[in-house]
Amino acid sequence: MIHFVLLISRQGKVRLTKWYSPYSQKERTKVIRELSGMILSRGPKLCNFVEWRGYKVVYKRYASLYFCMCIDQDDNELEVLEIIHHFVEILDRYFGSVCELDLIFNFHKAYYILDEILIAGELQESSKKTVARLIAAQDSLVEQAKEQASTISNMIAQATK
Amino acid sequence: MDQLKMIGRELAMGSQGGFGQSKEFLDLIKSIGETRSKAEEDRIVLREIETLKTRLGNPNTPKFKLKEYLVRLLYVEMLGHDASFGYIYAVKMTHDENLLFKRTGYLAVTLFLNEDHDLIILIVNTIQKDLRSDNYLVVCAALNAACRLINEETIPAVLPQVVELLGHHKEAVRKKAVMALYRFHQRAPGSVSHLVSNFRKRLCDNDPGVMGATLCPLFDLITIDVNSYKDLVISFVNILKQVAERRLPRSYDYRHMPAPFIQIKLLKILGLLGNGDKKASEHMYTIVGDIMRKFDSTSNIGNAVLYECICCVSSIHPNPKLLETAADAISKFLKSDSHNLRYLGIDALGRLTKINPEIAEQHQLAVIDCLEDLDDTLKRKTFELLYKMTKSSNVEVIVNCMVDYMININDNHFKTEIASRCVELAEQFAPSNQWFIQTMNKVFEHAGDLVNAKVAHNLMRLIAEGFGEDDNIVDSQLRSSAVESYTRIIGEPILPSAFLQVICWVLGEYGTADGKYSASYISGKLCDVAEALSTDEIVKAYAVTALGKIYSFEIAAGRKVNLLPECESLIEELLASHSTDLQQRAYELRALIGLDAHVVANLMPMDASCEDIEIDKGLSFLDGYIQQAIENGAQPYVSESERLGMSNISNFKSQEQHEFLTHSLRFEAYELPKPSMTPQVPPVLASPTELFPVSVPYYHTEVNYSTTPVPSISSAGSSELQLRLDGVQKKWGHPSYFSPTSSTLNSDAAKIQNGSTKPDSVGSANSEARHVSYDSRKPQVEISPEKQKLAASLFGGASKSDRRQSSSSQKVPKNNSHAAYKSHVEKTATSDTGAQKTSQPPSDLLDLGETTGTSILPSLDPFKQLEGVLDQTQDPTSLNTGGFSGTDAPDIMSLYVDTSLRDQGNSTANLLSTVNDSSSLLSGFSDATNRTGHGGNTVAQLTQKLSEGPNHKDSLEKDATVRQMGVTPSGQNPNLFKDLLG
Repeated sequence: MIHFVLLISRQGKVRLTKWYSPYSQKERTKVIRELSGMILSRGPKLCNFVEWRGYKVVYKRYASLYFCMCIDQDDNELEVLEIIHHFVEILDRYFGSVCELDLIFNFHKAYYILDEILIAGELQESSKKTVARLIAAQDSLVEQAKEQASTISNMIAQATK
Repeated sequence: MDQLKMIGRELAMGSQGGFGQSKEFLDLIKSIGETRSKAEEDRIVLREIETLKTRLGNPNTPKFKLKEYLVRLLYVEMLGHDASFGYIYAVKMTHDENLLFKRTGYLAVTLFLNEDHDLIILIVNTIQKDLRSDNYLVVCAALNAACRLINEETIPAVLPQVVELLGHHKEAVRKKAVMALYRFHQRAPGSVSHLVSNFRKRLCDNDPGVMGATLCPLFDLITIDVNSYKDLVISFVNILKQVAERRLPRSYDYRHMPAPFIQIKLLKILGLLGNGDKKASEHMYTIVGDIMRKFDSTSNIGNAVLYECICCVSSIHPNPKLLETAADAISKFLKSDSHNLRYLGIDALGRLTKINPEIAEQHQLAVIDCLEDLDDTLKRKTFELLYKMTKSSNVEVIVNCMVDYMININDNHFKTEIASRCVELAEQFAPSNQWFIQTMNKVFEHAGDLVNAKVAHNLMRLIAEGFGEDDNIVDSQLRSSAVESYTRIIGEPILPSAFLQVICWVLGEYGTADGKYSASYISGKLCDVAEALSTDEIVKAYAVTALGKIYSFEIAAGRKVNLLPECESLIEELLASHSTDLQQRAYELRALIGLDAHVVANLMPMDASCEDIEIDKGLSFLDGYIQQAIENGAQPYVSESERLGMSNISNFKSQEQHEFLTHSLRFEAYELPKPSMTPQVPPVLASPTELFPVSVPYYHTEVNYSTTPVPSISSAGSSELQLRLDGVQKKWGHPSYFSPTSSTLNSDAAKIQNGSTKPDSVGSANSEARHVSYDSRKPQVEISPEKQKLAASLFGGASKSDRRQSSSSQKVPKNNSHAAYKSHVEKTATSDTGAQKTSQPPSDLLDLGETTGTSILPSLDPFKQLEGVLDQTQDPTSLNTGGFSGTDAPDIMSLYVDTSLRDQGNSTANLLSTVNDSSSLLSGFSDATNRTGHGGNTVAQLTQKLSEGPNHKDSLEKDATVRQMGVTPSGQNPNLFKDLLG
C-alpha cells in the first residue's frame, strides 16, 4: 500500500502531498523534513529506494522535482517506480510537456489526476487512456459550468450598464 | 447593484488568465517562490492566512472567489501551516449543487481532514446524497471522498449505496465502488464481512480496470485466510494467462508489456495461494515459467514483473526448473550496474536462500560488493540478506560486520533493528561464551538503550550460570574476563543504563571473586557509577546492592571492612532518598555491615545467584509459635473452606443452597468464583500463587534480602523455575535452540564442547582464508584478497559448524556435500576424501576453461563456485548490453537538463521532454517499437497518439501567457525560476 505521495523540489519546497494513511499536521511536517533531508542528499546513481522507519520510500527525480512514494516493506519497489512514471506520463499528456510551473500553479489539477490513478493507497487504473478520458469528462463539465457562469456574468453586465 | 457588479468582475476574472487563477493567487505563489529564507516565507504565509480568514468569513464572498480561496488555503497547508480555520468552508462547499464547486470542496476536505476529524459527520450526508446522483462524475467524486473520509462509525451510513454502485453501468464508478468497499474492509473488517463475496463477483467484470481493482481487496482477503480462496487458483491462473497473451485492450499495455501492474498483483496473489500447497502450485508452474521466459529485461517494468515472479516462485511449492530460472534471473540482477536491480537481486537472493542455501554461495562476491557499496540502502538490504543466511560457521564474521556498521549509524530506528538482530544471532549461534560476552558488550555499549531489557538479563544469567556445573575453572575464567572488561569499560564517560546495570551486577557478584581486584577498588568504581548517574535510580539501586554484596563477601571471608568515604556519603545520601526502594537498599546495606561473619555468610552466600531458593510455603518455622499461642488459649486456624462449611464441591448450586441455609449476612465482598470452584490447582499458570514451588518474584526478594535485583531470571535450575522462564524463549547457545526437548544438562555439555573447540576452529578459518587467497590469486588478479577472505569466511566454512555440531551430539545439518572438501584443513578429520582433495584443488583452480564442467558437479565446491563467479564477472559485456536501454527516460531527462541550461531564454521548464518537440519522450518510445520490430501498425498507432498529445503551439501559447502574467524568468523575477532552470 502507498502511504503517501510527496512532490518536493530540489530546494526542499513541497509541491504536492497526498496522504493515504492518517498523519497529523505535525507528523506531516516532520515526515517531509526528514525525507527531504534524506532524499535530496542522495547521489544520482544510487538506488531509487530509501528505507525509512520500517517503510520504504521510492523516489524519482524529474528535472528539479522529486516524486516520492512511501510503501510497505513487502511491496515491489520497481513497480512503484513505474507507478510514479505512469503518473508523470499522464501529467505530461494532460499539461502538454509538464513542467514544475504547471504543478505549482495548477496543483489542484494534479490532485484530481492523482485521484484518478491512486485510490485508497492502491493503483486503481493502469490504463492511461481511461484516466485521460475521465479527466477530460470532468474538465468538460467544469467548462460547461464556467460557460453558464459567464453567461450569467454577461447578463449581469448587461443589467448593470 | 454594486454587489452584482463585483460578481460580474469576479466571474470575468475567473475565466481569464492562462492558469485559471486570479492575479492575486499568482502573486502569492510568485512571492513565496522568491523568498530567500524560511522566515520570510512564513511571514508571507501568515499574512495570507489573515487575508483568507477575513475573506472566507465574509458571507458576501461570491462562490467563485470562495473556490479560489480554498485552493489558496490548500496551498498554505501544503507549506506546513495550520489552516484548520478554513476546514468548515471546505465542508460547506461540498454541499454546493454545482459540480465545479463540489469537486473543489471534496478535494479540499479529502486533503484537509483525517478520517477521525469531527467535521466528517457533516459530510456524510452529502456523500450519501451524491452517491445517488445521476451524474456519474458526481458519484465518482463522492466515492473518492468516501475512500478517504468514511470511518468505522459512518460506514453503515453509506454502505448500502456503495454496494449498489458495484453494479453501476459506468466502469469508473464500479471500480471506485470496489475500492471504497476495500477501504471499508481495511477500516472495519467486521462491518463488511458479509459483502466479501461481492469481490469474487467483480473479478469477472468485463472491464479490466474493475477486475484489476478487485485484485487489491482479494489480495488482502487471501492474506488473512488462504484456504477459503483455494478454489480461485484456476481463475487467477487463467486471468494471468490471458493477460500474458495480450488479450486485454492495448490501452493497458505499458512499455509494450501487457498490463504489467495487473500481472504483478496476480503474481502476488498466486504466491500466497501456492504457499505450501503442492496441488495449487502445480497449476501455476506453466504460466509463471512462461512469463519468466518472455520477460523484457530492457525496461524497469519488465524487471519488476520478473522480480515478482521470483518472489512467487520462492513462495510456492518449489519447482526445480523454476528455481533454476529464478536463480539465473537473480544473477542477472546482481551483475547489473543499476543499483536498483542489484538491490532487488539481493532481496530476491534472500528469498531463495530459504529454499536453497547454496544459491547465495554462488554470488558471494556480488554480495560482498554490495556490502561495501557506498549506497546505504543497498548496504542495509545486504545486511538483511546476511542475517537470513547466518549459520554457526559464519556468525562471527557477520555479527562483527553488523556491529561495526551499527556503531556508525545514527538512525535510531534502524540501529534498534540491527542491534536486536545482532543479539538474536549471537544468542542463536554463538561459538563461544567469550565471544558472546564481547559481542554483547559492544552492542550494549553502542545501542544499550535501544535493545530489549531481556537481553541484559540473559547476559547476566549467562555469566552467572557459566558453562555448567562440572567445569568451574572455565566458569571463573569467563567471569574474571567479564569483570576485567567491565572494570575497563566502566571508566567510559557515557554508557547506556541497561549496560551499567549489567556491569554493576557482575561487579557486585564476581568483582572480588578471583582476588585480582580488592574490595575497595571495586566499591570505589561502583560508587563512581552511582555518583555519576544521579538521575538514574535503577542503576543506583544496582550499584548499592552490588556494594552490599562486595562488603558481605569481605565480612564472610573474615576480613575487616573499611567503608570508603565516598561510599559512606553515598549511603548517607540514599538513606534520605525520595525513592523508597533506594532507601530500603541503603538501610539493608548499613544493617548488613554491622552483622558478624557467620550471619552475613548465610545472608549473602558467595556466588549463589543461581541457587534455588526454597520457599517454605507451609510456614513451618512458625509452628512453635502457633503451638504456644494455642496453648495460651487462642483459636486454632480454620481454613477458608471449612469456615464456609463445605467441601471442595465446585457447584454453584450447592454454594447457593449453602448460603440459603446459613441465613447469615455476609459483609465481605464476594470472592472470585475461581478458587473455590476448582478443587484442583489449574494446570495453566493462571495465578502464580497457586503453583506450589514456584518462586514468585516478590517472595523471592523478601527471603533473599534482595541479593539479586533480577532474581527471577538469574535463578534457573529446577523445572518449575524453567516454567517461569518461558518468556525467555531463546535459550542461549545454538544446540538447545535447535532441539528444545533436550535437557539442560545436555545442552550445557554441548556448550562446553563449543567453547573448547573454538580456538581450533578459528585457526582453521584463518588457514582456510589464506588458502583461498593463494589459490585464486593467479587466475583472478583483480579481486582483492581481503574480499575473498571475507567471502570465504561468510560463505564457506560450513565444515566447522558441521564438526562442532556433530561433536556436541546435535542434529547434523544437511549441507554435508560441500562441507566435505573443507575438512582437510582440520587437524582431526583425516578421512581419505579430504586427503585426496587437498592435492587436487590447485590444478582445478588454474584451469579456467573447465568452469562449465565444474558448475555441473553435484557436490558444490565453494572454490569452484568462486571461480565460476569470477569467470562470469570478467566478461560483463554480454550481460550489461540490455540493461540500460530500458532507462531511456532518465537519459532523456539528463539530456534535457543540459539543453535547458543552454537556453535560458525559454521560460517554461519542461519536466519530461528533451528537445523542442514537446512529445519527444513519447517519440523515444516509438523508437523502441521500431527496435523491437513490432509491426508498422503499432508505430502508426503510437504516432497517432502523439499527434493527439500537446504540440509545439500549445507550449508557445503557454509561454506567451506566462510572459503576460509577468512571471517570465528572463523578466523581472529571475529568482523564482532559478530552481527550474538550474
